[in-house]
Amino acid sequence: MKYFIKRVGFMALTIFAVCALTFFLMNVIPGGTAKLVLKHTFVGLEESVTDEQLNQISDKYDLDDPLYLQFFRWIKEAVLRGDIGTSYVFKKPVLYLLALRLPATIQLAMVSMLIAMLAGVSLGIYSAIRENKISDHILRIVTLFGVSMPGFWVALLLILIFSLRLKLVPVTGYGSLENLLLPAAALSLHSVAAVMRVTRTSMLETLGQEYIRFAKAKGLPLWKIVSRHALKNAMLPVITVIGFQMGGLLGGTVVIEKIFAWPGIGSLLVDSISARDLPVVQGCVLAIVMMFLFVHFLVDMLYTHLDPRIRYG
Amino acid sequence: MSLLEIKDLSVEFSSGENAVKAVSHVFFKVREGETLGIIGESGSGKSVIGLALLRLLPANANVSGTVFFQGQDLFSLRPSELRKIRGKRISLMPQNPAGALNPVLKNRLQIEEVFEERGIDKKEGMKKSLRLMKKLLLRDPEKLCDLYPHQLSGGMRQRLIACMSLSFEPELVIADEPTKGLDPEAKERAVELFTKIKHDYGKTMLLITHDLDLALEVCDRIAVMYAGEIVELDKASKVLNAPSHPYTKGLVRAQPRNGLVPLSGQSPSRISLPEGCFFHERCRYSSIECFRKHPEMKNHNGGWIRCHFQSFQ
Repeated sequence: MKYFIKRVGFMALTIFAVCALTFFLMNVIPGGTAKLVLKHTFVGLEESVTDEQLNQISDKYDLDDPLYLQFFRWIKEAVLRGDIGTSYVFKKPVLYLLALRLPATIQLAMVSMLIAMLAGVSLGIYSAIRENKISDHILRIVTLFGVSMPGFWVALLLILIFSLRLKLVPVTGYGSLENLLLPAAALSLHSVAAVMRVTRTSMLETLGQEYIRFAKAKGLPLWKIVSRHALKNAMLPVITVIGFQMGGLLGGTVVIEKIFAWPGIGSLLVDSISARDLPVVQGCVLAIVMMFLFVHFLVDMLYTHLDPRIRYG
Repeated sequence: MSLLEIKDLSVEFSSGENAVKAVSHVFFKVREGETLGIIGESGSGKSVIGLALLRLLPANANVSGTVFFQGQDLFSLRPSELRKIRGKRISLMPQNPAGALNPVLKNRLQIEEVFEERGIDKKEGMKKSLRLMKKLLLRDPEKLCDLYPHQLSGGMRQRLIACMSLSFEPELVIADEPTKGLDPEAKERAVELFTKIKHDYGKTMLLITHDLDLALEVCDRIAVMYAGEIVELDKASKVLNAPSHPYTKGLVRAQPRNGLVPLSGQSPSRISLPEGCFFHERCRYSSIECFRKHPEMKNHNGGWIRCHFQSFQ
């Protein structure tokens, strides 16, 4: 319990640090916020923006206050009233925008994660059992491509082959299973390969342990040895990598969502950065950080479940 | 009648271009109800013999020769038939009890699985195991089952392993260095344990050890191994009290209570074994013949010895 409180404290600290970093970095980028906000309001009429209008905007959002004061105000609102700001561009609460976009991102990230875990772990086990056989070599070469190819490029290739040439699935869209296929495949490929390689290595190491030999000496069949004795032991490093991959996936969605016009927070984030829509950027970063921390928390909890020797005091 | 008959057993480990000769041309028989000890220094190939019998060596091991267990050729069995023998008719007590127990599984499961794949009731088997555990000087066996291996002491782990190997009442027990890594007190109790196993259960045992005290206490006959081959095989008391082979003499003299006289030199490289007798470089009695010709196993006073000069020793 004490550990739990400490852990939550650290998470809060991390969130605070990330928010502060995002806030100040966004303000360091040249070009005044008020100017950009107006530009997005008067598209095509940028030249006619007057100083008066600029001041008006600055007053409205208190943009002339010192940065620390602005940040402090944002934190206060967020903590006390759960209000993390209003979008300059959409004129809507950030929470509302996130609620609109988050399900799509979670769907994409979770499906990719699931693919990465299922495919990565099972291929890794298969590869370990067939160590140095031809199927193992083929799998290892394929995964080498998997970890080397950047996600956005894979996404373009997939679109080119499956959408434009074979016309099997639509290029973009959201809502049905066939829309999900390509983005999930592009996003998860790297993770599948990474998880597979770690599983293979970890599995091989575990299979060389003495307790595996003793299990064999007890007359157990291979599948029981793998599923009961090896898997749980081999999963520790795999789980760690899956946790890190989750971070990569959330980062990856930013690009992948943009390519597939996926209505998640990734594309929202990219759009808001170019529009200098600070509250939305802040909100998106906050959401991503919280998901990331949550996954890592789960991973740590899983450790104790997998290995009884690990205890958090 | 002999329960186990090993003929011309050789084991080579291939590593790159070189082959390490771990065991060369070993033959011996184990009679029913007998305890045969295999002694020798570390790396003499004793453990490899034990593992080779149950075909538990890694894939890079090249095993030749034949092993007959009750007239059945173990090396030509199909894997499914081999599993019926492993743990049920021939059981292995692995060295290093700490490594042989799976750290993430409770003791109960690891005891229970001895009875799996056998078509018998696990609960009945468990009852038998618990009785056995009580007999083997383990207190509170029920409670012990609900613990993880890391919560037991070294001696307890060893007893637990002994329990697992004996609970199916196998016809042959291969005990691989049961006193390795135990403190003197635990060692004494291990000697006690093995005397008990031998007297109360009358098991046929292959006891692989470098603990000469244990060997003298428990074994009926002893085979002495040097550089992968048997150099002397005779009744236990004869081998250890009145050794014939110069190596055995050296081994006995190196014991603390016999003066702690170390054998000079090192055992030969197993990649390129010397011509002639493998021991001639360290032998006080060696002559030209020892250096030229590899000695064969010869009958000597009712036992076997591999030495050119057994006549005047």
